[in-house]
Amino acid sequence: MALLNMRSITRSTVALVLSCGLALGAAQAQDKANDPLEPLNRGIFFFNEIFDAVITTPVTTLYKAIVPDPIRKSIGGVFGNLDDVYSGLNHGLQGNGQQAGRDFSRVLINTTLGIGGLFDVAGNMGIAKSKTDYGVTLGSWGVGPGPYLVLPVMGPSTVRDTVGRGMRIASDPRTYIPWETGFSLTATEFFHLRAENASSEGLIDSSSLDKYLFTRSLYLQRRSSQVRAASEAN
Amino acid sequence: MSRWIYFVLGLFVMSALTGPSYASVPEDMVKAMASNVTTQVRALPANATGVTPQIQSIIERDIMPRFDFTRITQIAMGRNWLKASPAEQKQIIGEFTHLLVRTYSNAINTLRDMDVVVKGSRSNGSDGDVTVRTQMVGRNQPTSIDYFLSNASGSWKVYDVQVEGVSLVSAYRDEFTSLVSSNGVAGVIDALKKKNAK
Repeated sequence: MALLNMRSITRSTVALVLSCGLALGAAQAQDKANDPLEPLNRGIFFFNEIFDAVITTPVTTLYKAIVPDPIRKSIGGVFGNLDDVYSGLNHGLQGNGQQAGRDFSRVLINTTLGIGGLFDVAGNMGIAKSKTDYGVTLGSWGVGPGPYLVLPVMGPSTVRDTVGRGMRIASDPRTYIPWETGFSLTATEFFHLRAENASSEGLIDSSSLDKYLFTRSLYLQRRSSQVRAASEAN
Repeated sequence: MSRWIYFVLGLFVMSALTGPSYASVPEDMVKAMASNVTTQVRALPANATGVTPQIQSIIERDIMPRFDFTRITQIAMGRNWLKASPAEQKQIIGEFTHLLVRTYSNAINTLRDMDVVVKGSRSNGSDGDVTVRTQMVGRNQPTSIDYFLSNASGSWKVYDVQVEGVSLVSAYRDEFTSLVSSNGVAGVIDALKKKNAK
């Protein structure tokens, strides 16, 4: 009896969730952005906002207060050097051999003369940094972005960009070293990047009427412009 | 004889270059606006924070007249623009202009240690609109900023700005669409008023 009840509750819950989902899908059909998971995304977005206020902002404030500018720059340089490897790889996969060559020259010069990326010697020589990633590569191959997703802690993404993120993690050496080291390196990089980009976040706060929608639009526009640029570069 | 042909051709080219349709007019306008504003911002006292009366006057005198806020609002409203009555349209333009000016006044201080380099311009479709490409160059990676200008009113005015391919005007469209679908056009006016009152 109890079991039967349980089953009928489960069944009606599933039906309810499904019909809610369909109704929401229909309501959003007129919206331009592909965001069928908006209610869930908004929940995660809200969680991220709290995470930012409680954890990220205090940590980045402390980090900026304790670590002097030049040292922060060098920390960013080391992570940036690893990033250049992936940018080079992806520019290559996008068929942009010229930019891939520049990226790998940067890695070569900064690893040697720049002591593992502590100093951006290549940048001073006029070989500018140009970032790209697996998500853009997939896009340049014709893979559409798919539905918009907000990832816990990491923030805005799409199905395609989440797959790209997974590819990056799978091909990152940090994944294959003892996890404590890998995790602390990744956390350092995360807080470092957030500290450097804090000023643009304030602008979103002061200009948006609905921060979730504003952020979504900025993210989707930015990604499609990056994919367009990568496709045109060939 | 052939020399005369070249001379006449040369005249044509010259008149085409100096004519109002040539892209260098909006390009020069953006260049002049950027250098004028940059010079003035750098002349301000270095310890000033927030939007001072001086910054306010730079914006009102040298930036706002170069922007077509009616068209900017129309783009942000998209299809919903026609749902608003003329009186509502006027209200939305006023409130939206106020919001844009207020928020981006806070960003103007960054021009202190940035230079604006005009990279060129291109004609944009058949309606004679022009896109002027610029770069903000400073300590970090250069940021590309594209200005979209139209000569519809008889003088070149900016109707969209794209930072790294991201249109700030279009970013408002999703917000306005959602406000209109839940609370109608009045919802947009309410939300803008509330935001501006903060």
